[in-house]
Amino acid sequence: MILRLRQLAALAMLAVLELYRRKDLFVVFLLAMVILLPLAFFEPFGVSGASRYINELALLLIWIFSIIIGLGVSARLFPPEFESRTIYPLLAKPVGRGTVLFGKYLGGLGASVSALLVFYLAYALLAGVRQGAWFTPVLLQAFLLHVGFMTVLSSLALLGSLVLTPSATLTLCGLTTAGMLAFGQRLPALAAAQTGPGRSVLLTIHWLAPHLEFFDMRQRVVHAWPCVDGWACAAVLGYAACYAALCLALASRAFRRKRL
Amino acid sequence: MDTVVIQNVSKRFGNTLAVDNLSLAVHPGEILGFLGTNGAGKTTTIKMLLGLLSPDSGRVRVLGGDPCAPAARSRIGYMPETATYYPYLNLRELLFFYGGLCGMTRSAVRARAEMLIERVGLGAAAGRLLRTYSKGMLQRAGIAQALLHDPDLLILDEPLTGLDPLARIHFRDMILDLREQGKTVFFSSHELSEAELICDRVAILKQGALVVCGAMQALAGDGGQNLERVFLKVLEADTAREVPA
Repeated sequence: MILRLRQLAALAMLAVLELYRRKDLFVVFLLAMVILLPLAFFEPFGVSGASRYINELALLLIWIFSIIIGLGVSARLFPPEFESRTIYPLLAKPVGRGTVLFGKYLGGLGASVSALLVFYLAYALLAGVRQGAWFTPVLLQAFLLHVGFMTVLSSLALLGSLVLTPSATLTLCGLTTAGMLAFGQRLPALAAAQTGPGRSVLLTIHWLAPHLEFFDMRQRVVHAWPCVDGWACAAVLGYAACYAALCLALASRAFRRKRL
Repeated sequence: MDTVVIQNVSKRFGNTLAVDNLSLAVHPGEILGFLGTNGAGKTTTIKMLLGLLSPDSGRVRVLGGDPCAPAARSRIGYMPETATYYPYLNLRELLFFYGGLCGMTRSAVRARAEMLIERVGLGAAAGRLLRTYSKGMLQRAGIAQALLHDPDLLILDEPLTGLDPLARIHFRDMILDLREQGKTVFFSSHELSEAELICDRVAILKQGALVVCGAMQALAGDGGQNLERVFLKVLEADTAREVPA
């Protein structure tokens, strides 16, 4: 058990160190700060009370940047190992493939969540300066569910990176994420309006694709609505854990079958 | 008990027979040179010894166990032919990473890493990112990571690639030192002159099959041929032969 924990810590630390030393993560991070922080002092249309629009825009940017970081980080955890052949000395050590996969996943998720935390701190600063609401409970809940979202997104990208090329992974995961955030909630209604194969396709997507819209709390934060019930939040986080576990199990199978 | 036992092992990739009914044993405390032309099946055999590939038929035992088992792999040190390692880590971080995978404590890694860094001559460069290393420096980093957990069996795949003459001499001394300590070395190489200098026995592969295996002196024969001549001769011959040790 201690050996397994040491191995997981080493793998996660490797992923985090590598990701932070690559400058491209900082570019996204810097870009987000450059866009987010001036919003704290910007008055749209000359109206000083238009905070909701600003908050909505800021949260949209946080979501877009978190998707870019989450996909970019997780989709690149394994391909460089195969390209530079570091996978051979790695797997020659007394470490199982499942441990390698999970350790790298934890590292990628850790790096993504740390960037997300900074985004939310910037948002809290923005909201605090404009409205005096620094760390509202609904913002904390939104952050928690956003972490759940990153858990699913990272596992999906990791699975894709083991069965597809990096560009195909980014395209497919990007489309899935955007599609489910936009239409996930309406899929049953859309399916009901269809007949024949179209209905089956939509229902299949409804049951198989990750319902990422569950994690989107932007409207509640923007309109300062109350938090969702604790049991609902726990259920959504449970869904994230189950979906991520399924993706990781499939990724583990793909990794074991991968020809070295 | 032999350190490595390969019994009637075959491995095929599609229509290509990479390893053809290979049988070979490596004795404890010896340096075995594993030689062959490009595509002879050396790296495939090494991957099977590390449990990275499973043989289609036959059996592989390493240090008395299945090479897929972590217990066996915790006693194996492996240096790959061309690894660039992690470009955004420095050598110390790389060794801490591999030490963590081997379950070593930080203090154990620190003590061992500093000794190995000095031994491979990278003391001045240990804090630099690996992406700034030359090919020869990366090879030396590879040697350090392979020896980090003090393995009983060292598997080296083309370890001399990119090393300058001085580094080769140091490397040779290090390998001979390891033999003195009772370690077993499985040495795959194209460098016949180096193999001749350090190996107790050599095994030569041709198109996946073992064509000759024996002690250096026995292979050289009465004429005292060098390994290069022996290598040419056995690759031109059709039949396999076993030379007594």
